[in-house]
Amino acid sequence: MLEVRAMSPLTAAACALCALLAGAYLTALIERMLSVRGRGHRVSRRDFGLPLYQAALRMRQEVVHTERPDSLLALLAPASYGAAATAALSVVPLGASLAIADVHTGIVLFGAAEAFAIVAVFMHGWSFNSQLSLIGAYRFVALGLSYELLSMFVLIAAALPARSLQVSLIVDSQARVWNVLRQPLGLPLWIVVMLGVSFWGPLDLADSRDLAGGTSLESSGRERLLWQLLRRAMLAVFAGMGAAMFLGGWHGPLLPGWLWMLLKTLALLSLALWLGQRVGRMHAERVVRAIWLVLLPLSFVGLVIAGLGALP
Amino acid sequence: MIDFLFWMFGLAAVGFGVLVFRTDSMVRASFLLLASFMCVGALLVMLLAEYLGVALWFMMALEMVVMALFMVAFMMNPAGLNPMSMVHQPGSAKITGAAGAIALMTVALAAELPARTMSRASSTLEALGHDMLSDSMLIFESAGVALLATMIGAVVLSARSSRFGSAADQGSQPPAIDTDDPDSVPDVEERASNEHHHGMGHEHGGQS
Repeated sequence: MLEVRAMSPLTAAACALCALLAGAYLTALIERMLSVRGRGHRVSRRDFGLPLYQAALRMRQEVVHTERPDSLLALLAPASYGAAATAALSVVPLGASLAIADVHTGIVLFGAAEAFAIVAVFMHGWSFNSQLSLIGAYRFVALGLSYELLSMFVLIAAALPARSLQVSLIVDSQARVWNVLRQPLGLPLWIVVMLGVSFWGPLDLADSRDLAGGTSLESSGRERLLWQLLRRAMLAVFAGMGAAMFLGGWHGPLLPGWLWMLLKTLALLSLALWLGQRVGRMHAERVVRAIWLVLLPLSFVGLVIAGLGALP
Repeated sequence: MIDFLFWMFGLAAVGFGVLVFRTDSMVRASFLLLASFMCVGALLVMLLAEYLGVALWFMMALEMVVMALFMVAFMMNPAGLNPMSMVHQPGSAKITGAAGAIALMTVALAAELPARTMSRASSTLEALGHDMLSDSMLIFESAGVALLATMIGAVVLSARSSRFGSAADQGSQPPAIDTDDPDSVPDVEERASNEHHHGMGHEHGGQS
Protein backbone atom coordinates (compact mmCIF):
# COMPACT_ATOMS: atom_id res chain seq x y z
CA MET A 1 0.00 0.00 0.00
CA LEU A 2 1.31 3.38 -1.00
CA GLU A 3 1.83 5.98 1.69
CA VAL A 4 -0.36 9.02 1.09
CA ARG A 5 1.16 12.19 2.41
CA ALA A 6 -1.44 14.65 3.65
CA MET A 7 -0.93 18.40 3.36
CA SER A 8 -2.20 20.97 5.82
CA PRO A 9 -5.06 23.05 4.36
CA LEU A 10 -2.91 26.19 4.15
CA THR A 11 -0.04 24.44 2.35
CA ALA A 12 -2.55 22.79 0.04
CA ALA A 13 -4.17 26.12 -0.88
CA ALA A 14 -0.81 27.81 -1.48
CA CYS A 15 0.37 24.84 -3.52
CA ALA A 16 -2.80 24.84 -5.66
CA LEU A 17 -2.59 28.58 -6.33
CA CYS A 18 1.08 28.41 -7.33
CA ALA A 19 0.53 25.36 -9.54
CA LEU A 20 -2.44 26.94 -11.34
CA LEU A 21 -0.62 30.23 -11.93
CA ALA A 22 2.52 28.42 -13.09
CA GLY A 23 0.43 26.22 -15.36
CA ALA A 24 -1.30 29.22 -16.92
CA TYR A 25 2.02 31.04 -17.42
CA LEU A 26 3.73 28.02 -18.96
CA THR A 27 0.79 27.44 -21.30
CA ALA A 28 0.89 31.06 -22.45
CA LEU A 29 4.68 30.88 -22.83
CA ILE A 30 4.69 27.67 -24.88
CA GLU A 31 1.87 29.10 -26.99
CA ARG A 32 3.98 32.19 -27.69
CA MET A 33 7.11 30.16 -28.44
CA LEU A 34 5.25 27.91 -30.87
CA SER A 35 3.77 30.85 -32.73
CA VAL A 36 7.15 32.66 -32.90
CA ARG A 37 8.85 29.51 -34.19
CA GLY A 38 5.97 28.87 -36.56
CA ARG A 39 6.61 32.22 -38.21
CA GLY A 40 10.28 31.32 -38.63
CA HIS A 41 11.61 33.72 -35.97
CA ARG A 42 13.85 32.90 -33.03
CA VAL A 43 12.53 33.00 -29.48
CA SER A 44 14.00 36.03 -27.72
CA ARG A 45 14.26 36.87 -24.05
CA ARG A 46 11.36 39.29 -24.41
CA ASP A 47 8.99 36.44 -25.20
CA PHE A 48 9.38 35.11 -21.65
CA GLY A 49 8.00 38.30 -20.16
CA LEU A 50 5.33 38.83 -22.81
CA PRO A 51 2.54 36.80 -21.12
CA LEU A 52 3.08 38.80 -17.91
CA TYR A 53 3.10 42.07 -19.85
CA GLN A 54 -0.12 41.17 -21.65
CA ALA A 55 -1.73 40.17 -18.35
CA ALA A 56 -0.73 43.50 -16.79
CA LEU A 57 -2.18 45.32 -19.80
CA ARG A 58 -5.52 43.50 -19.43
CA MET A 59 -5.51 44.28 -15.70
CA ARG A 60 -5.44 48.00 -16.48
CA GLN A 61 -8.19 47.91 -19.10
CA GLU A 62 -11.65 49.12 -18.30
CA VAL A 63 -14.30 46.50 -17.50
CA VAL A 64 -17.33 47.08 -19.73
CA HIS A 65 -20.64 45.56 -18.68
CA THR A 66 -23.57 44.55 -20.86
CA GLU A 67 -27.11 45.69 -20.27
CA ARG A 68 -28.81 43.82 -17.40
CA PRO A 69 -26.35 40.93 -16.99
CA ASP A 70 -27.05 38.07 -14.59
CA SER A 71 -24.46 39.43 -12.17
CA LEU A 72 -24.68 36.50 -9.73
CA LEU A 73 -23.83 33.95 -12.42
CA ALA A 74 -21.23 36.31 -13.90
CA LEU A 75 -19.45 36.11 -10.56
CA LEU A 76 -20.02 32.37 -10.11
CA ALA A 77 -18.85 31.37 -13.61
CA PRO A 78 -15.11 32.10 -13.22
CA ALA A 79 -15.33 31.04 -9.56
CA SER A 80 -16.67 27.62 -10.45
CA TYR A 81 -14.37 27.16 -13.45
CA GLY A 82 -11.47 28.00 -11.10
CA ALA A 83 -12.85 25.68 -8.42
CA ALA A 84 -13.16 22.92 -11.01
CA ALA A 85 -9.55 23.46 -12.10
CA THR A 86 -8.43 23.41 -8.45
CA ALA A 87 -10.40 20.26 -7.66
CA ALA A 88 -9.00 18.57 -10.75
CA LEU A 89 -5.49 19.69 -9.83
CA SER A 90 -5.81 18.38 -6.29
CA VAL A 91 -5.74 14.74 -7.42
CA VAL A 92 -2.92 15.20 -9.96
CA PRO A 93 0.40 14.02 -8.51
CA LEU A 94 3.00 16.78 -8.19
CA GLY A 95 5.86 14.41 -7.40
CA ALA A 96 6.55 10.86 -6.29
CA SER A 97 3.36 9.91 -4.37
CA LEU A 98 2.74 13.56 -3.55
CA ALA A 99 -0.54 15.27 -4.39
CA ILE A 100 -2.64 17.99 -2.81
CA ALA A 101 -5.37 15.50 -1.97
CA ASP A 102 -4.81 11.98 -3.20
CA VAL A 103 -8.36 10.82 -2.48
CA HIS A 104 -9.58 7.24 -2.95
CA THR A 105 -12.02 8.32 -5.64
CA GLY A 106 -9.44 10.32 -7.59
CA ILE A 107 -10.70 9.85 -11.13
CA VAL A 108 -14.34 10.27 -10.08
CA LEU A 109 -13.46 13.60 -8.47
CA PHE A 110 -11.65 14.55 -11.66
CA GLY A 111 -14.79 13.68 -13.64
CA ALA A 112 -16.88 15.79 -11.26
CA ALA A 113 -14.48 18.69 -11.84
CA GLU A 114 -15.00 18.32 -15.58
CA ALA A 115 -18.76 18.38 -15.05
CA PHE A 116 -18.45 21.63 -13.09
CA ALA A 117 -16.33 23.08 -15.87
CA ILE A 118 -19.27 22.49 -18.22
CA VAL A 119 -21.63 24.21 -15.75
CA ALA A 120 -19.18 27.11 -15.43
CA VAL A 121 -18.85 27.67 -19.17
CA PHE A 122 -22.63 27.63 -19.52
CA MET A 123 -23.01 30.16 -16.69
CA HIS A 124 -20.33 32.34 -18.27
CA GLY A 125 -22.08 32.46 -21.62
CA TRP A 126 -25.47 32.94 -19.99
CA SER A 127 -24.50 35.71 -17.61
CA PHE A 128 -23.79 38.47 -20.16
CA ASN A 129 -27.34 38.67 -21.55
CA SER A 130 -25.87 38.59 -25.03
CA GLN A 131 -26.92 36.50 -27.99
CA LEU A 132 -23.66 35.07 -29.32
CA SER A 133 -22.41 34.34 -25.80
CA LEU A 134 -25.57 32.35 -25.16
CA ILE A 135 -25.11 30.35 -28.36
CA GLY A 136 -21.54 29.58 -27.25
CA ALA A 137 -22.90 28.42 -23.89
CA TYR A 138 -25.55 26.14 -25.40
CA ARG A 139 -23.03 24.75 -27.82
CA PHE A 140 -20.59 23.93 -25.05
CA VAL A 141 -23.18 21.94 -23.08
CA ALA A 142 -23.77 19.63 -26.07
CA LEU A 143 -20.04 19.29 -26.65
CA GLY A 144 -19.15 19.08 -22.96
CA LEU A 145 -21.39 16.06 -22.36
CA SER A 146 -19.59 14.29 -25.19
CA TYR A 147 -16.14 15.14 -23.81
CA GLU A 148 -17.20 14.08 -20.32
CA LEU A 149 -18.33 10.60 -21.46
CA LEU A 150 -15.19 10.13 -23.52
CA SER A 151 -12.94 11.16 -20.64
CA MET A 152 -14.63 8.85 -18.16
CA PHE A 153 -14.27 5.79 -20.39
CA VAL A 154 -10.63 6.65 -21.05
CA LEU A 155 -9.92 7.18 -17.32
CA ILE A 156 -11.70 3.97 -16.31
CA ALA A 157 -9.58 2.03 -18.80
CA ALA A 158 -6.43 3.60 -17.33
CA ALA A 159 -7.60 2.70 -13.82
CA LEU A 160 -8.30 -0.95 -14.67
CA PRO A 161 -4.73 -2.31 -14.39
CA ALA A 162 -4.35 -0.57 -11.01
CA ARG A 163 -7.68 -1.93 -9.72
CA SER A 164 -8.17 1.42 -7.99
CA LEU A 165 -9.71 4.83 -8.62
CA GLN A 166 -6.88 6.51 -6.73
CA VAL A 167 -4.49 8.41 -9.00
CA SER A 168 -1.30 7.55 -7.09
CA LEU A 169 -2.08 3.83 -7.33
CA ILE A 170 -2.80 4.19 -11.04
CA VAL A 171 0.61 5.86 -11.52
CA ASP A 172 2.24 3.16 -9.42
CA SER A 173 0.73 0.43 -11.61
CA GLN A 174 2.79 1.88 -14.49
CA ALA A 175 6.14 1.30 -12.79
CA ARG A 176 7.17 -1.23 -15.46
CA VAL A 177 5.00 -0.47 -18.49
CA TRP A 178 3.37 2.88 -19.10
CA ASN A 179 -0.30 2.95 -19.99
CA VAL A 180 0.50 4.66 -23.27
CA LEU A 181 1.97 1.32 -24.43
CA ARG A 182 -0.56 -0.95 -22.73
CA GLN A 183 -3.53 1.09 -23.95
CA PRO A 184 -2.47 2.82 -27.18
CA LEU A 185 -5.90 4.43 -27.67
CA GLY A 186 -5.94 6.23 -24.32
CA LEU A 187 -3.55 9.11 -24.88
CA PRO A 188 -4.86 10.29 -28.29
CA LEU A 189 -8.41 10.28 -26.92
CA TRP A 190 -7.22 12.14 -23.81
CA ILE A 191 -5.73 14.89 -25.99
CA VAL A 192 -9.18 15.37 -27.53
CA VAL A 193 -10.64 15.73 -24.02
CA MET A 194 -7.88 18.18 -23.04
CA LEU A 195 -8.52 20.45 -26.00
CA GLY A 196 -12.26 20.11 -25.56
CA VAL A 197 -12.70 20.96 -21.90
CA SER A 198 -10.43 24.01 -22.14
CA PHE A 199 -12.00 24.75 -25.59
CA TRP A 200 -8.71 25.05 -27.36
CA GLY A 201 -7.52 25.04 -30.99
CA PRO A 202 -9.63 22.77 -33.21
CA LEU A 203 -12.17 22.36 -30.40
CA ASP A 204 -12.43 26.03 -29.47
CA LEU A 205 -16.16 26.09 -30.11
CA ALA A 206 -17.42 27.94 -27.03
CA ASP A 207 -15.26 31.05 -27.37
CA SER A 208 -14.68 30.72 -31.09
CA ARG A 209 -14.20 33.30 -33.83
CA ASP A 210 -17.34 32.18 -35.67
CA LEU A 211 -19.29 33.46 -32.64
CA ALA A 212 -17.14 36.60 -32.47
CA GLY A 213 -15.62 35.31 -29.23
CA GLY A 214 -18.56 33.23 -27.94
CA THR A 215 -18.97 33.13 -24.17
CA SER A 216 -16.18 35.67 -23.62
CA LEU A 217 -17.38 38.03 -26.34
CA GLU A 218 -18.62 40.58 -23.82
CA SER A 219 -15.96 40.16 -21.15
CA SER A 220 -13.21 42.73 -20.85
CA GLY A 221 -10.40 43.91 -18.64
CA ARG A 222 -9.50 41.86 -15.59
CA GLU A 223 -12.60 39.65 -15.97
CA ARG A 224 -11.36 38.58 -19.40
CA LEU A 225 -7.87 38.10 -18.00
CA LEU A 226 -9.18 35.80 -15.27
CA TRP A 227 -11.19 33.70 -17.73
CA GLN A 228 -8.27 33.33 -20.15
CA LEU A 229 -5.93 32.51 -17.28
CA LEU A 230 -8.26 29.82 -15.94
CA ARG A 231 -8.64 28.25 -19.39
CA ARG A 232 -4.87 27.94 -19.69
CA ALA A 233 -4.59 26.60 -16.15
CA MET A 234 -7.26 24.00 -16.97
CA LEU A 235 -5.33 22.88 -20.04
CA ALA A 236 -2.17 22.52 -17.94
CA VAL A 237 -4.03 20.52 -15.27
CA PHE A 238 -5.39 18.17 -17.93
CA ALA A 239 -1.87 17.78 -19.33
CA GLY A 240 -0.69 16.85 -15.83
CA MET A 241 -3.47 14.30 -15.48
CA GLY A 242 -2.60 12.86 -18.89
CA ALA A 243 1.05 12.55 -17.85
CA ALA A 244 0.00 10.72 -14.67
CA MET A 245 -2.53 8.47 -16.38
CA PHE A 246 -0.68 7.46 -19.54
CA LEU A 247 2.99 8.49 -19.33
CA GLY A 248 3.86 6.84 -16.03
CA GLY A 249 3.68 9.99 -13.91
CA TRP A 250 6.72 10.34 -11.69
CA HIS A 251 8.35 7.10 -12.93
CA GLY A 252 11.61 7.47 -14.83
CA PRO A 253 15.34 6.86 -14.44
CA LEU A 254 17.94 9.15 -12.82
CA LEU A 255 15.91 12.35 -12.37
CA PRO A 256 13.74 12.96 -9.29
CA GLY A 257 10.00 12.19 -9.49
CA TRP A 258 8.72 15.75 -9.53
CA LEU A 259 11.02 16.64 -12.42
CA TRP A 260 9.83 13.69 -14.49
CA MET A 261 6.25 14.70 -13.78
CA LEU A 262 7.00 18.28 -14.85
CA LEU A 263 8.81 17.23 -18.03
CA LYS A 264 6.04 14.84 -19.08
CA THR A 265 3.39 17.44 -18.36
CA LEU A 266 5.23 20.04 -20.42
CA ALA A 267 5.72 17.58 -23.28
CA LEU A 268 2.01 16.75 -23.39
CA LEU A 269 1.06 20.42 -23.03
CA SER A 270 3.36 21.37 -25.91
CA LEU A 271 1.91 18.62 -28.08
CA ALA A 272 -1.64 19.82 -27.36
CA LEU A 273 -0.74 23.46 -28.03
CA TRP A 274 1.08 22.52 -31.22
CA LEU A 275 -1.99 20.61 -32.41
CA GLY A 276 -4.08 23.60 -31.39
CA GLN A 277 -2.12 25.82 -33.72
CA ARG A 278 -1.81 23.35 -36.58
CA VAL A 279 -5.32 21.92 -36.82
CA GLY A 280 -8.14 24.15 -38.02
CA ARG A 281 -11.26 24.68 -35.95
CA MET A 282 -13.93 22.08 -36.61
CA HIS A 283 -17.67 22.44 -37.04
CA ALA A 284 -19.50 21.91 -33.72
CA GLU A 285 -22.06 19.50 -35.13
CA ARG A 286 -19.37 17.42 -36.80
CA VAL A 287 -17.38 17.25 -33.55
CA VAL A 288 -20.38 15.84 -31.65
CA ARG A 289 -21.03 13.37 -34.45
CA ALA A 290 -17.37 12.30 -34.57
CA ILE A 291 -17.21 11.83 -30.79
CA TRP A 292 -20.38 9.75 -30.55
CA LEU A 293 -19.89 7.68 -33.70
CA VAL A 294 -16.12 7.24 -33.79
CA LEU A 295 -14.29 8.24 -30.61
CA LEU A 296 -16.70 6.77 -28.04
CA PRO A 297 -16.74 3.35 -29.79
CA LEU A 298 -12.94 3.60 -29.93
CA SER A 299 -12.89 4.23 -26.18
CA PHE A 300 -14.99 1.06 -25.71
CA VAL A 301 -12.36 -0.82 -27.71
CA GLY A 302 -9.76 0.73 -25.39
CA LEU A 303 -11.77 -0.51 -22.42
CA VAL A 304 -11.80 -4.05 -23.83
CA ILE A 305 -8.02 -3.89 -24.45
CA ALA A 306 -7.47 -2.68 -20.89
CA GLY A 307 -9.81 -5.32 -19.48
CA LEU A 308 -8.09 -8.17 -21.35
CA GLY A 309 -4.71 -6.89 -20.20
CA ALA A 310 -5.87 -6.70 -16.59
CA LEU A 311 -7.11 -10.31 -16.54
CA PRO A 312 -4.99 -12.42 -14.19
CA MET B 1 -14.55 21.67 13.60
CA ILE B 2 -16.10 18.57 12.00
CA ASP B 3 -19.40 19.29 13.75
CA PHE B 4 -19.30 22.89 12.61
CA LEU B 5 -18.70 21.87 8.99
CA PHE B 6 -21.46 19.27 9.19
CA TRP B 7 -23.98 21.83 10.42
CA MET B 8 -22.78 24.41 7.93
CA PHE B 9 -23.27 22.10 4.93
CA GLY B 10 -26.59 20.88 6.31
CA LEU B 11 -27.99 24.37 6.81
CA ALA B 12 -26.57 25.56 3.49
CA ALA B 13 -28.26 22.64 1.70
CA VAL B 14 -31.62 23.70 3.16
CA GLY B 15 -30.92 27.39 2.55
CA PHE B 16 -30.07 26.91 -1.13
CA GLY B 17 -33.14 24.69 -1.41
CA VAL B 18 -35.32 27.56 -0.16
CA LEU B 19 -33.65 30.01 -2.54
CA VAL B 20 -34.62 27.79 -5.50
CA PHE B 21 -38.22 28.95 -5.03
CA ARG B 22 -37.38 32.57 -4.24
CA THR B 23 -35.52 33.35 -7.45
CA ASP B 24 -37.20 34.44 -10.69
CA SER B 25 -35.02 32.72 -13.27
CA MET B 26 -35.11 29.07 -14.35
CA VAL B 27 -31.36 29.01 -14.84
CA ARG B 28 -30.63 30.45 -11.41
CA ALA B 29 -33.10 28.02 -9.84
CA SER B 30 -31.29 25.08 -11.47
CA PHE B 31 -27.91 26.20 -10.22
CA LEU B 32 -29.20 26.96 -6.72
CA LEU B 33 -30.55 23.41 -6.65
CA LEU B 34 -27.10 22.25 -7.75
CA ALA B 35 -25.55 24.20 -4.85
CA SER B 36 -27.95 22.46 -2.48
CA PHE B 37 -26.99 19.04 -3.89
CA MET B 38 -23.31 19.94 -3.57
CA CYS B 39 -23.80 20.51 0.15
CA VAL B 40 -25.54 17.13 0.44
CA GLY B 41 -22.58 15.58 -1.41
CA ALA B 42 -20.20 17.20 1.06
CA LEU B 43 -22.22 15.68 3.91
CA LEU B 44 -21.92 12.24 2.29
CA VAL B 45 -18.14 12.69 1.98
CA MET B 46 -18.01 13.64 5.65
CA LEU B 47 -19.93 10.44 6.47
CA LEU B 48 -17.11 8.53 4.69
CA ALA B 49 -19.41 7.63 1.82
CA GLU B 50 -16.80 9.27 -0.37
CA TYR B 51 -17.78 7.64 -3.64
CA LEU B 52 -21.46 8.45 -3.21
CA GLY B 53 -20.70 12.08 -2.38
CA VAL B 54 -18.33 12.63 -5.29
CA ALA B 55 -20.62 10.75 -7.68
CA LEU B 56 -23.49 12.98 -6.51
CA TRP B 57 -21.48 16.12 -7.45
CA PHE B 58 -20.63 14.56 -10.77
CA MET B 59 -24.16 13.51 -11.71
CA MET B 60 -25.93 16.57 -10.35
CA ALA B 61 -23.63 19.02 -12.15
CA LEU B 62 -24.42 17.38 -15.48
CA GLU B 63 -28.09 16.89 -14.68
CA MET B 64 -28.69 20.46 -13.58
CA VAL B 65 -27.01 22.02 -16.60
CA VAL B 66 -29.03 19.77 -18.93
CA MET B 67 -32.18 20.62 -16.96
CA ALA B 68 -31.53 24.36 -17.17
CA LEU B 69 -30.98 24.11 -20.89
CA PHE B 70 -34.09 22.06 -21.59
CA MET B 71 -36.30 24.20 -19.37
CA VAL B 72 -35.29 27.32 -21.24
CA ALA B 73 -35.64 25.55 -24.58
CA PHE B 74 -39.06 23.95 -24.06
CA MET B 75 -40.96 26.49 -21.92
CA MET B 76 -43.77 28.30 -23.73
CA ASN B 77 -42.87 31.47 -21.90
CA PRO B 78 -39.13 31.68 -22.54
CA ALA B 79 -38.41 30.96 -18.92
CA GLY B 80 -35.23 32.36 -17.55
CA LEU B 81 -35.18 34.80 -20.43
CA ASN B 82 -38.27 36.41 -18.92
CA PRO B 83 -38.47 36.61 -15.13
CA MET B 84 -41.12 34.25 -13.78
CA SER B 85 -42.33 32.83 -10.50
CA MET B 86 -40.80 29.51 -9.47
CA VAL B 87 -43.84 28.32 -7.50
CA HIS B 88 -47.20 27.02 -8.59
CA GLN B 89 -50.15 25.79 -6.54
CA PRO B 90 -48.51 27.29 -3.43
CA GLY B 91 -51.35 26.27 -1.09
CA SER B 92 -51.33 22.53 -1.71
CA ALA B 93 -47.55 22.57 -2.18
CA LYS B 94 -47.11 23.92 1.35
CA ILE B 95 -49.25 21.16 2.83
CA THR B 96 -47.62 18.29 0.93
CA GLY B 97 -44.15 19.77 1.51
CA ALA B 98 -44.68 20.05 5.26
CA ALA B 99 -46.18 16.54 5.43
CA GLY B 100 -43.24 15.09 3.49
CA ALA B 101 -40.70 16.88 5.67
CA ILE B 102 -42.38 15.71 8.88
CA ALA B 103 -42.55 12.12 7.60
CA LEU B 104 -38.86 12.13 6.66
CA MET B 105 -37.83 13.68 9.97
CA THR B 106 -39.90 11.14 11.87
CA VAL B 107 -38.14 8.33 10.02
CA ALA B 108 -34.74 9.91 10.71
CA LEU B 109 -35.42 10.38 14.40
CA ALA B 110 -37.49 7.30 15.17
CA ALA B 111 -35.76 4.63 13.09
CA GLU B 112 -33.12 2.45 14.64
CA LEU B 113 -30.07 3.23 12.54
CA PRO B 114 -26.98 1.02 12.62
CA ALA B 115 -24.30 2.44 14.90
CA ARG B 116 -21.20 0.93 13.33
CA THR B 117 -18.07 3.08 13.43
CA MET B 118 -16.54 3.66 10.01
CA SER B 119 -12.84 4.34 10.06
CA ARG B 120 -11.61 4.11 6.47
CA ALA B 121 -13.20 5.61 3.39
CA SER B 122 -11.66 2.90 1.20
CA SER B 123 -13.60 0.19 3.05
CA THR B 124 -16.95 1.82 2.19
CA LEU B 125 -15.87 2.08 -1.45
CA GLU B 126 -15.05 -1.61 -1.49
CA ALA B 127 -18.27 -2.55 0.27
CA LEU B 128 -20.26 -0.52 -2.24
CA GLY B 129 -18.53 -2.28 -5.15
CA HIS B 130 -19.23 -5.72 -3.69
CA ASP B 131 -22.84 -4.84 -3.02
CA MET B 132 -23.44 -3.43 -6.50
CA LEU B 133 -21.96 -6.49 -8.18
CA SER B 134 -23.43 -9.21 -5.97
CA ASP B 135 -26.74 -8.95 -4.10
CA SER B 136 -27.99 -5.78 -5.76
CA MET B 137 -26.62 -6.54 -9.20
CA LEU B 138 -30.01 -7.38 -10.73
CA ILE B 139 -31.56 -4.12 -9.49
CA PHE B 140 -28.69 -1.96 -10.69
CA GLU B 141 -28.36 -3.64 -14.05
CA SER B 142 -32.11 -3.57 -14.79
CA ALA B 143 -32.32 0.07 -13.70
CA GLY B 144 -29.34 0.82 -15.92
CA VAL B 145 -30.85 -0.87 -18.97
CA ALA B 146 -34.21 0.85 -18.35
CA LEU B 147 -32.52 4.26 -18.14
CA LEU B 148 -30.50 3.59 -21.27
CA ALA B 149 -33.64 2.56 -23.17
CA THR B 150 -35.37 5.74 -21.96
CA MET B 151 -32.47 7.88 -23.11
CA ILE B 152 -32.35 6.28 -26.55
CA GLY B 153 -36.13 6.59 -26.84
CA ALA B 154 -36.03 10.26 -25.87
CA VAL B 155 -33.30 10.99 -28.39
CA VAL B 156 -35.14 9.12 -31.15
CA LEU B 157 -38.41 10.94 -30.39
CA SER B 158 -36.88 14.40 -30.13
CA ALA B 159 -34.50 14.21 -33.08
CA ARG B 160 -35.98 16.05 -36.03
CA SER B 161 -34.55 13.63 -38.55
CA SER B 162 -35.97 10.53 -36.86
CA ARG B 163 -39.52 11.92 -36.68
CA PHE B 164 -39.72 13.28 -40.20
CA GLY B 165 -37.08 11.21 -41.98
CA SER B 166 -33.91 12.42 -43.57
CA ALA B 167 -35.87 14.90 -45.71
CA ALA B 168 -37.16 16.69 -42.59
CA ASP B 169 -36.40 20.10 -44.00
CA GLN B 170 -37.50 19.41 -47.55
CA GLY B 171 -40.86 17.69 -47.27
CA SER B 172 -43.16 20.54 -46.32
CA GLN B 173 -44.28 23.31 -48.60
CA PRO B 174 -45.91 26.51 -47.37
CA PRO B 175 -49.40 27.24 -48.73
CA ALA B 176 -49.79 29.61 -51.65
CA ILE B 177 -50.37 33.25 -50.74
CA ASP B 178 -52.99 33.69 -53.42
CA THR B 179 -55.19 30.56 -53.47
CA ASP B 180 -56.08 31.02 -57.15
CA ASP B 181 -52.47 31.40 -58.20
CA PRO B 182 -50.42 28.25 -57.46
CA ASP B 183 -47.21 30.08 -58.44
CA SER B 184 -47.45 32.42 -55.43
CA VAL B 185 -45.91 29.81 -53.10
CA PRO B 186 -43.23 31.67 -51.15
CA ASP B 187 -39.65 30.51 -51.43
CA VAL B 188 -39.04 28.03 -48.61
CA GLU B 189 -35.38 28.93 -48.17
CA GLU B 190 -36.07 32.64 -47.98
CA ARG B 191 -38.96 32.13 -45.58
CA ALA B 192 -36.89 29.93 -43.29
CA SER B 193 -34.12 32.51 -43.06
CA ASN B 194 -36.63 35.30 -42.40
CA GLU B 195 -38.25 33.34 -39.59
CA HIS B 196 -34.86 32.58 -38.18
CA HIS B 197 -33.96 36.26 -37.96
CA HIS B 198 -37.32 37.12 -36.52
CA GLY B 199 -37.00 34.42 -33.84
CA MET B 200 -33.56 35.63 -32.80
CA GLY B 201 -34.68 39.21 -32.48
CA HIS B 202 -37.65 38.20 -30.39
CA GLU B 203 -35.53 36.15 -28.04
CA HIS B 204 -33.10 38.97 -27.54
CA GLY B 205 -35.88 41.46 -26.89
CA GLY B 206 -37.40 39.15 -24.30
CA GLN B 207 -34.16 38.77 -22.46
CA SER B 208 -33.25 42.42 -22.08
